[in-house]
Amino acid sequence: MKRTLLAFIRKELIQTLRDVRMRVLLFGAPVIQLTIFGLALSTEIKNINLAVISGPGDAMFGRVAEGFYASGWFKRVIYGSEAPFELIASGRADAVLIAPAGGLARSAARGDGRMQLLVDATNLTKARAVEAYARNIISAAAAREYGARAEPALKFDVRVLYNPAMESSMFLVPGVMGMLVCLITIILTAMSLAREREVGTFETIVSAPLSDAEVLLGKTVPYVLLGVMDAALVVAAGYLIFGVPVRGPLWQLALASLALVITTVSIGTFISTIARNQQQAMLGGFMFLFPAILMSGIMYPVENMPGAIIAAAYLDPLMYFVRLLRNIMLKGGDLHVLWTNLGALALMALVAAGAAYKRFKQTLN
Amino acid sequence: MNGFNLHRAYSIARKEVMHILRDPFTLALALGLPVMLVTFFGYAIDYEVKGITLAVSDQDGGPAARRLKEMFSSSGYFLPVEAVPGSGPVAMLDSGRASAALFIEPEFSKKIMGGGAVQAQFVLDGSDNAKGAAVVGYLPGIQRAAQARLAGQALREPFSFETRFLYNPELNSRWFTVPGLAAIIIGLLAILLTALTVAREWENGSMELLLSTPVRPLEIMVGKLAPYGALVLAGVFFVYLVARLVFGVPFAGSHLLYLAACLLFITAALSQGLFISVVTRQQQVAMQLGMITGLLPSMLLSGFIFPVESMPKFFQYFTMILPPRWFMAAARGITLKGADLGELAVPFLALGLLSAGMLALALIKFKTDLE
Repeated sequence: MKRTLLAFIRKELIQTLRDVRMRVLLFGAPVIQLTIFGLALSTEIKNINLAVISGPGDAMFGRVAEGFYASGWFKRVIYGSEAPFELIASGRADAVLIAPAGGLARSAARGDGRMQLLVDATNLTKARAVEAYARNIISAAAAREYGARAEPALKFDVRVLYNPAMESSMFLVPGVMGMLVCLITIILTAMSLAREREVGTFETIVSAPLSDAEVLLGKTVPYVLLGVMDAALVVAAGYLIFGVPVRGPLWQLALASLALVITTVSIGTFISTIARNQQQAMLGGFMFLFPAILMSGIMYPVENMPGAIIAAAYLDPLMYFVRLLRNIMLKGGDLHVLWTNLGALALMALVAAGAAYKRFKQTLN
Repeated sequence: MNGFNLHRAYSIARKEVMHILRDPFTLALALGLPVMLVTFFGYAIDYEVKGITLAVSDQDGGPAARRLKEMFSSSGYFLPVEAVPGSGPVAMLDSGRASAALFIEPEFSKKIMGGGAVQAQFVLDGSDNAKGAAVVGYLPGIQRAAQARLAGQALREPFSFETRFLYNPELNSRWFTVPGLAAIIIGLLAILLTALTVAREWENGSMELLLSTPVRPLEIMVGKLAPYGALVLAGVFFVYLVARLVFGVPFAGSHLLYLAACLLFITAALSQGLFISVVTRQQQVAMQLGMITGLLPSMLLSGFIFPVESMPKFFQYFTMILPPRWFMAAARGITLKGADLGELAVPFLALGLLSAGMLALALIKFKTDLE
């Protein structure tokens, strides 16, 4: 019996990988995507178009404005006679800094040196960043102009652990990796079983001398293997291309990936038993994937969501996986984090596999 | 025999509509996905980071240290907790039990109340950038408050600034995310649904059957795509309704212009879906290709979350060939800024060119593959 099962698994693997395009999509695409997203995406806001408006001969304001351009975050906007609002409405400037009437030095001496900063808030992330940058640049300028008198008594000495340069790739690569593995395994499994049903080859398999459990294993083990291989490929690419470190032991990473892939393949199988064709399987897969990705903390911090969503996030396998990945890769693997999250993920894998098996048996009979 | 016959295209469209209606589950999923997405982005995603657990190691224990902790908690952003003695705040960062740590040195109260300058070390978990940048942004506010309440005199600021946020004065997260969702929905449904349906026709051989009828390729194409175009438009309309009625997102611009942008983007996406199905002719491969070239770029490279202008130079040019980037610019401009066609000339021109090009490409590929 064991040999038939092995032969079955082999057949499934060959069938999936027979198509050259499928091989490229399964192994090439995740690496290419990781590279593109790793290079392109940045949580640091840059290239902000800033226009400055002042009266003639306002030297102090000129020095403050220079501070903005010297920071590297802002780009100079050259303009004609447009009003500040027009510059923003037309999209030529993201922000406009306006000097107080009568010059900055004079109004500062009077004690009301207030500049105005107009910010285009259609893009929220940009607007927030502009204000935060402006706060730092302007208080540094004040300290430069007026010396110690303008310095606050309490200073924070900020140190960033694990990712001192706050590089986006360190943060995004583990997340994108979890997302890619999840996308591939869930949708591929769901669609492959739905396809057998569509084409009618499912009956042939059922009539083979295999038990229900063996049929299920034969259909799912290949996808678990492919998923784990993809995970390994993406970690290697992140390490080689972006220098994302793997500070914790590899076995932890392997265990976490295995637990995630078993869970997602089981969920894919479950969806396929409900779906009647591949379209339904795909849409059903996305119905699960979108919330799973959004609640995972890949892009948005989970703690920041409303209570009901946080509660739901505890049912999200991807959330545990992303936590594990960031902990193992960036922090070096804390054992408490490892066992609690891995335990939850393993429990989820068990439940999902059990549910998939039950549904699968029902649909077979 | 030659030329485009609207009647024949209509027959194909009717057949396709029947296919869709016969499968209510797919229809429900196709319309349910947009609603699920908009609800999620409306309720769950807030760009204002709150509830940051702050592990405090207070080696001073004086009144000023106590007040500093109070200031962190009353800011509304931080939840200060005492560090576990022995293990220390950094261990709490390691295990993820805290997101930031504050070290207050001995003599802190004495120094600051005596009018001296003090430093407090603030350590941040850098493994989550989305949180980290926001946390650092909150510190100047605390600093200013501390000046007044600890050192006894307000910070003498020779000059300062006042920010005015235009178009979204309260920095409401929903106003930012929800108008962009149409791009994700079109990228998902228009591309993947068409790619899959047409690939299915190739897979089970019914495409050959269709081609042997007197219906011309162009008519088949229009007939097959039009119902999906309508379905996607319905999804976008759903999102619009929820955004306006449930989340109160403003709509400052012209609805007609918005519709035009949607139609242009939908044309590009449907053509892309058709092109993929002709190239792959197999649903699983079509789905993978659709995801890589359609859905993921719509989500990640369009400026939906990560601004295009912050990307490296190469990607600022590269994203120009992606219709979702231009649609996103047009959609945000119309809904929040109330921009007119003159101000959105570039996005509209690019969107028009790209969808015409995509349509031509799909048509040529479809036709040559038939011969």
